[in-house]
Amino acid sequence: MQLINDKKNGKPVGRALATATCALLGVQATTAMAKDQPGEWDVETALLVYSETDDRVQAAEPVISATRNFDGDKKLNLKLVADTLTGASPSGATPSDLVQTFTRPSGIGNYTVEAGEAPLDDSFKDTRVAVSGSWTAPLNRDYTYSVGAYGSREYDYISTAVNGSLTRYLNNKNTTLTGGLSLGMDLIDPVGGAPIGLSRMALRANNTEAQFDQEFAATRESDDTKTLVDALFGVTQVINRRTLMQFNYGVSYSSGYLTDPYKILSVIDEAAGANYGGNLIGADGNPIYLYEERPDTRMKHSLYWQTKYMLENGDVMDGSYRFMVDDWGITSHTIDLKYRWRLSNSYLEPHFRYYMQSEADFYKRYLTESEYNGGVPTVSEASADYRLGELTGMTFGAKWGYRLDEDRELAIRAEYMIQSNDGDEGFGKLTNHDLYPDTNAMWLQLSYNF
Amino acid sequence: MTSITIPATDNPAHHPDPTLQGSGRQWQGRFEAMASPCEILLENVNEAEAREALQFAARETWRMEHKFSRYVAGNPVDRINQSHGTPIHVDNEMALMLDYAAQCFELSDGRFDITSGVLRRAWKFDGGNHLPDRSETDALLRLVGWNRVQWEKPSLTLPDGMEIDFGGIGKEYAVDRILLDLNRILPEQASVLVNFGGDLACNGPRANGNAWVVGVEDHKKLSDSTETLSLRGGALATSGDSRRYLINNGVRYGHILDPRTGWPIPDAPHSVTVAAPTCTLAGMLATFAMLQGGEAEAFLQEQQVPFWVQRS
Amino acid sequence: MSFSNWFTRRRLRQAATLLTISATLAAAGCSNLGVKPWERDLLAEPDMQLTVSGVDAGLDDHIYFSKEASSGGRGFGGGGCGCN
Repeated sequence: MQLINDKKNGKPVGRALATATCALLGVQATTAMAKDQPGEWDVETALLVYSETDDRVQAAEPVISATRNFDGDKKLNLKLVADTLTGASPSGATPSDLVQTFTRPSGIGNYTVEAGEAPLDDSFKDTRVAVSGSWTAPLNRDYTYSVGAYGSREYDYISTAVNGSLTRYLNNKNTTLTGGLSLGMDLIDPVGGAPIGLSRMALRANNTEAQFDQEFAATRESDDTKTLVDALFGVTQVINRRTLMQFNYGVSYSSGYLTDPYKILSVIDEAAGANYGGNLIGADGNPIYLYEERPDTRMKHSLYWQTKYMLENGDVMDGSYRFMVDDWGITSHTIDLKYRWRLSNSYLEPHFRYYMQSEADFYKRYLTESEYNGGVPTVSEASADYRLGELTGMTFGAKWGYRLDEDRELAIRAEYMIQSNDGDEGFGKLTNHDLYPDTNAMWLQLSYNF
Repeated sequence: MTSITIPATDNPAHHPDPTLQGSGRQWQGRFEAMASPCEILLENVNEAEAREALQFAARETWRMEHKFSRYVAGNPVDRINQSHGTPIHVDNEMALMLDYAAQCFELSDGRFDITSGVLRRAWKFDGGNHLPDRSETDALLRLVGWNRVQWEKPSLTLPDGMEIDFGGIGKEYAVDRILLDLNRILPEQASVLVNFGGDLACNGPRANGNAWVVGVEDHKKLSDSTETLSLRGGALATSGDSRRYLINNGVRYGHILDPRTGWPIPDAPHSVTVAAPTCTLAGMLATFAMLQGGEAEAFLQEQQVPFWVQRS
Repeated sequence: MSFSNWFTRRRLRQAATLLTISATLAAAGCSNLGVKPWERDLLAEPDMQLTVSGVDAGLDDHIYFSKEASSGGRGFGGGGCGCN
């Protein structure tokens, strides 16, 4: 027998009284959800298929996450994620009137981009496996702690992290303070070694294979590491019976090899004449491309605010805003809105996300001949990675879920993202090309929880 | 029929010893407590288990009666009522009861109030015709109001002259408590029904899978139960007592008083019976419905619980 | 690595202002906001948890981490991927 007060706008006497009575008798509410019962595994499984337009990245990503509840609010979560990735991604070079031939990141083989086409590096094939686990338990009535570990592996990258957090309840658990720390260590081992920043990409054209090998080797160094320290401080506040709010402040410091070993920049000819705005051609008759170079530290600060609100009819609104600023000169704003429209056994949740970032101080769509300075660049850092440029993204999505019974839920989710870049349009011949093509991606996710 | 001896120390109110009737795996225990006949129906248990269950139920019920009654000198309720405004520290069980009373006060917008008992000094619901003066009830209202009480667990400060009583909670709470405890003590397959003067709860259907059949008292026929209900799980509780009223100038005044006015709730039903997962919840919903007066049925409909309302 | 110039003064001020605002809001929140324990029925519903599905959030975080310069906020920004 259940007490349901579906007239949520009236005084919630029946439900509140039922909760109060259960507290008096020290029994579980009969209306309590079947989830979170000790001694059972709650399992979430999902398969995500991700696809970018124009033959770019395609990915499939299965996930399984299992949570086991123990007596006394203790909880163990284990999660396994795998993803396989294929396709091409923008290399950072500019489109050109010439057919462009680039050396593959491994040094083995070339790929060619037609005149006027956006240079995409199609060498990406990767499989990543990630495992993580966390343990949460109360210390006493007012404190809960959580510890966790993470590890992932792909063919050129290994990542590990440990984290811990402490939560303090105040004010009848209406206010929750959380402080957490995460330490990470990543090992980057690109195929063929990591390129030396701002060194010139060796090309096979007009070279013997031996000359090429020598030149290629000269641009390489061995593997490298990256360390990450993340600290997070959060306040969660119950506003009223139907409103919950969270504020987080996070600081993240990374140091080491932060460069993308597969990204390059084109050097553009500034000399007045026929090739003004075209690729700068070196003495060997080849265009000049440089490997990118980023600073070796990065400090990020983020502020995050989220509110959940249950409407009178039981629907749930979820809105969040994130502000991020870092010492690379990037500032970003993210707004995320969800509305869960609840039907009897199912729900429909439209989703909208807006993202906007400014460009990094060292972001350059290309380098000019004078910045290249005959091989002794006047800049110490430069990247044409569109993800560090001025960028706006919009995502539209929806999720539909069906509750088979108290434990089992089936859901399908679809999201569509449009990303557009903006920035320096170049000069001369460069202005004939689209330096900032949009990225459109969509993903479809099927989930089953039991 | 056998009598079970309970040590005098566990029977402070000197009730008669409980009696056990039955045979095989079907037993019926009876005792008195809280001014009501108390009944424990047990199925799928042997005699030894039945004896143990009944003995436990009687002792535990008497313990709660002794602790929460407002008539026992020196018990925790009496200590609070005699505190003359000084803070009293209460134990955990009492704290849970006070928390619950506070919640009920809020949820009922002040209609349910464990401090309203003093109003009975002005009202005699003995079937007579005496109405108190407004001035008399107004004077008593100054001693009523949970909002005047300082309750900061575990410390309670009751202003001088005020009184609390758990009349509206205690019996139903005892029914749930006994059922929960018997569930723990007895073998898993035992079927149990606990019935304290018509407020009752069971742990599931009878041993043969059938529902328990429960009589509901009709206020016009005081002695026999006419209507019967089937109960397969959960609890039933009744608020209202057809014997307690007064009639003045042809107007019937029921004994349910509104602590905000000091006068009976107009158009209150004679009785309200509610079915709910626990007896305490059923009882409180029935009491809340009574306090709604003419709106009782509408209130219960909104809660989506089975209910039976009797009006004249 | 040098900590002295990692942050321009202007940005520091921006961040400080935002921090002050959020701290004020949070402090104001503690005084008279909140509910009684028995009013937690709606907040206890799975749909009212800040992160309803950890799996959905994790997958999206991974996608945006590989397509944008920002990460984290809700939780640790982390890395765990050579995709950025």
